[in-house]
Amino acid sequence: MVGVAYDCLANPLGAVRSTFEKAIASGSDPASFDGRDWGAVDLFRNFLYDDGGLSQVPILNSASIRWVQPNTLVRFRGMIQDMLGNEFYVGAYKDGSVWRTNKFTDVPQFPVDSTPDMRLWERRMLYCTPVPGQNSWAESSDGVMFTSMESATQQREKRPRVDVEATDDMDVSDNGIEGSPSTKKLKENGHSSQQSITEGTSSSMITALDVNSDSLPCLIKMYDCLESDLKLNEVFEFVGVFTFDSEFKEDKDESDDLTNGFSEDVLVHLPPNKVPRLHCFIHRKLAVHDFLPRSPTIEPKPNLVKEIREALLRHLTAVLGNDGIAANFMLLHLLSMVYSRVGTVAVGKLSLNLTCLSRESAPVFGTQLGLALKNLLPFTQCISLTVDYLNTASLAPRKDYETSRLITGALQLAEGSHVIFDETRLEAGILNSVGVENARLLKTLIELQKVEYDFKFYKLDMPADIQMLVLSEGKSNILPADVVLPFHPSSVASTEVTAEALEAWRWYLATLRSLPHSIDSELQKVIENDLVAARQEDRTLGTQDFSRLLTMGRLMSMSFGETSLSLEHWQMVKELERLRRERLK
Amino acid sequence: MKDIDFSAEKELAKDFLSNFPDSNGEPKYMRILQQVANRKFRAIEIDIEDLFSYAELDEEFRNRVQENTRRYIGIFADAIDELMPEPTEAFTDDDHDILMTQRSDDVPENMDGPDPHQKMPPEIKRYFEVYIRASSSGKSKPFAIREVKASHIGQLVRISGIVTRCSDVKPLMQVAVYTCEECGFEIYQEVTARVFMPLFECPSRRCITNRTKGNLILQLRASKFLKFQEAKIQELAEDVPKGHIPRTMTVHFRGELTRKVAPGDVVKLSGIFLPIPYTGFRAMRAGLVADTYLEAMSITHTKKKYEDYELIGDEEEQIARLAEDGNIYEKLARSLAPEIYGHEDIKKALLLLLVGAPHRKLKDGMKIRGDLHICLMGDPGVAKSQLLKHIINVAPRGVYTTGKGSSGVGLTAAVQKDPVTNEMVLEGGALVLADMGICAIDEFDKMDELDRTAIHEVMEQQTVSIAKAGITTSLNARTAVLAAANPAWGRYDLRRTPAENINLPPALLSRFDLLWLILDRADMDSDLEMARHVVYVHQNKESPALGFTPLEPSVIRAYISAVRRLSPSVPQELEEYIASAYSSIRQEEAKSNAPHSYTTVRTLLSILRISAAIARLRHSETVAQSDVDEALRLMHMSKFSLYSDDRQKSGLDPIGDIYSILRDESETTGKQDVSYAHALNLISRKGYSEAQLKQCLEEYANINVWQINPISFDIRFIDAI
Repeated sequence: MVGVAYDCLANPLGAVRSTFEKAIASGSDPASFDGRDWGAVDLFRNFLYDDGGLSQVPILNSASIRWVQPNTLVRFRGMIQDMLGNEFYVGAYKDGSVWRTNKFTDVPQFPVDSTPDMRLWERRMLYCTPVPGQNSWAESSDGVMFTSMESATQQREKRPRVDVEATDDMDVSDNGIEGSPSTKKLKENGHSSQQSITEGTSSSMITALDVNSDSLPCLIKMYDCLESDLKLNEVFEFVGVFTFDSEFKEDKDESDDLTNGFSEDVLVHLPPNKVPRLHCFIHRKLAVHDFLPRSPTIEPKPNLVKEIREALLRHLTAVLGNDGIAANFMLLHLLSMVYSRVGTVAVGKLSLNLTCLSRESAPVFGTQLGLALKNLLPFTQCISLTVDYLNTASLAPRKDYETSRLITGALQLAEGSHVIFDETRLEAGILNSVGVENARLLKTLIELQKVEYDFKFYKLDMPADIQMLVLSEGKSNILPADVVLPFHPSSVASTEVTAEALEAWRWYLATLRSLPHSIDSELQKVIENDLVAARQEDRTLGTQDFSRLLTMGRLMSMSFGETSLSLEHWQMVKELERLRRERLK
Repeated sequence: MKDIDFSAEKELAKDFLSNFPDSNGEPKYMRILQQVANRKFRAIEIDIEDLFSYAELDEEFRNRVQENTRRYIGIFADAIDELMPEPTEAFTDDDHDILMTQRSDDVPENMDGPDPHQKMPPEIKRYFEVYIRASSSGKSKPFAIREVKASHIGQLVRISGIVTRCSDVKPLMQVAVYTCEECGFEIYQEVTARVFMPLFECPSRRCITNRTKGNLILQLRASKFLKFQEAKIQELAEDVPKGHIPRTMTVHFRGELTRKVAPGDVVKLSGIFLPIPYTGFRAMRAGLVADTYLEAMSITHTKKKYEDYELIGDEEEQIARLAEDGNIYEKLARSLAPEIYGHEDIKKALLLLLVGAPHRKLKDGMKIRGDLHICLMGDPGVAKSQLLKHIINVAPRGVYTTGKGSSGVGLTAAVQKDPVTNEMVLEGGALVLADMGICAIDEFDKMDELDRTAIHEVMEQQTVSIAKAGITTSLNARTAVLAAANPAWGRYDLRRTPAENINLPPALLSRFDLLWLILDRADMDSDLEMARHVVYVHQNKESPALGFTPLEPSVIRAYISAVRRLSPSVPQELEEYIASAYSSIRQEEAKSNAPHSYTTVRTLLSILRISAAIARLRHSETVAQSDVDEALRLMHMSKFSLYSDDRQKSGLDPIGDIYSILRDESETTGKQDVSYAHALNLISRKGYSEAQLKQCLEEYANINVWQINPISFDIRFIDAI
């Protein structure tokens, strides 16, 4: 490669076109590009990962949208909230004798005449929103602002150099490839049009935007990727071309006349002046630890992990009013995640129900706990269950056939979200049909880690992975949790935490939960015998209890940073369980 | 692509239409054309399958039709124009016909040269509509909506889906007719898209030469309109991959195909997948994007009944192979809920519930139900609900509900006021919705008293009668009821009598063909098995291997639908056998002081039903004695957990019990010989295994109580008389 002819950051479409022309010039048939890449994505992959360009790419959010220019490269982090189906577009067409492509763009650079040489290609449309319940530290807004500012200044410094390079390149190729004068002109066009847009409308852009500044949705257009790669509710980082049409005016009367208010496509409800578009080059699934503000520098050394564990346990004990058992269970609960589904059973979940919280003590410990978790986990939410809430809230997402959109519900959450259900304010009352349905939804969620999405004509089960903590006075029947523990606080202590400690704990919780785990065959025998003995004693124990004990064993050994269960940790689990049972009596 | 000579294609189409033979060897399409000419109906459906089977056409032609269907509809329509026979029956002219005759009279007058705008387009003369239908014989599975790709544009595709929205039926202009104020000519304009630009200036030669710019007036009465309806269909739940949202597609219905679907219908459609370019201002905005739709060609409603079940692909072959397999009964039973460990006999019973027995209608109009009802009663945590849910998944039509169903409609039916029209409407409950299917009712014991009364009628008469708010009617509820219930005190209490534990009125209980008690007993082995299973699941993140490959639910469904067509009869020689079996059960019950069951005439019917279902599974038209024995065994096994307890109390070991059974048999028949097969029947009815029988035979032979035939294992008692 003779060097990048275009600035990947400022003019990604130029780069796309130049690779396309190169591919055509090398004799490829444009028809064969349907559903595959001709080198453009590779170019960006090189730029982003091998040349470290990723940190220069600004993150698109409600703050940065004010200054990010259209048709530049941006990043967007969000959860796939809805899938809008496929869009057919004129992917390649012949402009005179030259093939052009429209991949990665909404608006053609050259007028498209209806020629027979037109290729219809497909792209997927995903509607993404910021992850629900994302805490401010995980947004890494300061960090991103910092890097984006930095990248902006870098760009300013860099651009002349790149431009020089580019023009040099042009000059050389002017003689060689016949298509290049037009590409040069094109580039200029591109620049000038960009400028005119931003200059003319920078003020209107802000006003046009829904000042729902916390949640900036984004319509992602995906090219050539396997359908199974991207699933609903997964959190991704998309890198691609940002387009935003603030000049767009709704042609209301016309569209209403033509289409009997029925056949219009989904996009009418997502006008380009409200929802930015991103034509995605590269996507990457994000796990919880990708949200840590700084890349982890700590090596998972056993004694270090142990130290962090001790400190975190102390912190949790303090938050939980000096209740050590509760803190131990809380630690296991915070590390839990669904790591496999066997039949209908979600293996690995550990929901916790703290009982004996009265109306008076709940606010004290509830809020303290809520704050503590907010600081520890990236996505947290707190839902206060009341009869009124159950009767009116829409918990499950529901398809609206009028707009062809999936209306989100409170239970549409990203993997690894944490939810506190506060049941202490629930009073006796009558549930209407919505309330009954909601109670059922909550129950299936906590039992099976599944949410039924309502598609009116049928319901679809969507797997979920949500850590659920229930605060209640007695054992909760709406939310039958895996572990029920009476909460016995002895003091109320205020907790002071240093930023470094918080960071270490976040790292600890994010990293350890994905450790592999195994049980060697000798210990398996021990466990089997222990379980049988327990069941002989207490006939009410079932598979669920067995499963819970094993999950606790796994989490216990994980909390020490170990990958296989040791007898010592198994004994600890049994001891914890014994203490818990004693409290239940 | 090479150019295709469309006039040659038309000749091919004509040849096909005039010569394609139907099953009687007569030209199939000419007969249809004749009926169309007689105005019997409008639609001419050309089955693409016929194109395939018509020997005169080469494969290329069919592929061209398949890939460029829109064009070929035009070609076929042209061909039909030329072939259309004269009507053989008189029919009354409507306005349209009168107009047409006037027009054709007009034509010779203004023969001043061929003017394309004055030439009558063929569409306006046509009384018929041509549809090309994708093969519906079920050879290939219809596409899910997400499988229809850009490469299918212009092609004939078949998709399945559920209708979510329907527009009103509206007129769509096909040919616009204008008259010119200046020259008086009729001007025709063909409309192919949904929007068109009307003509304003007369394009006729006379007006152009005279430069009069004649004003055109649109003649609505003379124009041709088509009925037009738009609908949205959505993918079926089973076609949606995990973690995805169902896709939707727009469908256009024209002419005769309108008003065929309503929201909620599950349909299979064949149609042409076409792009519509945006028009006007939106085109500029949308840039390069094309909307797509399906131009419907045929509609098939999917009915979820065994009777209408269509075999897909190689299912027929698989069924034939299964039918030959002697062990089909076991195999199918094991494949039900394979992840639920054990419970083989319960699964067998549930399989029989799916199969059912034939309905009988007596001469005096009385009906005897064929559906089997089963009640699973057991301790909490013995996977009753999972079994229920799995059965519902296997059944083509199944409704799962709980006794405390939340809907106001409940289980049976309710009269409700429609909020929009204020009319009283009848809304069916779960049992009515499960008509011709299976209704699984969980928490049967916690059911409302009202619903429970109604269930009496459903279970025997298989109807739901309603007399509310001035509506008196009876709805069909031909459903097999599968109920799950907990014992009276949550867990089965062995110190109390079965009647106390079961806690359902005898009238209801007797309606169940099988009442299965599943008790959770303190048993070291089963506990260890459970612990191992859980540990394995946690260690390996999957269920332990089953040791066999379960059959796919679709195969089970197909096999069951195939055997449900059989109607086995009971041969005369078996009648005696069944009668004696029944009377022996009755006697046993009379002897016992705490009966485990209520044996009534209904029990006799149950035996017959279960036997018939087993015979169906064997692909047999007659019930054999082995079927009856298996039925009796299942009935016995259903209470096995109780009997084994009795036996422990009475201090008999199984070997001793088997001996006493055989001894009794020898005494009652007065013979010293008991054949091995007969002995096996006897003991299996009491819930013992063949291994136990063999052990018993060996032990007692050693002490010279009886002799065992070394080859046939028949038993001969050695009596010291």
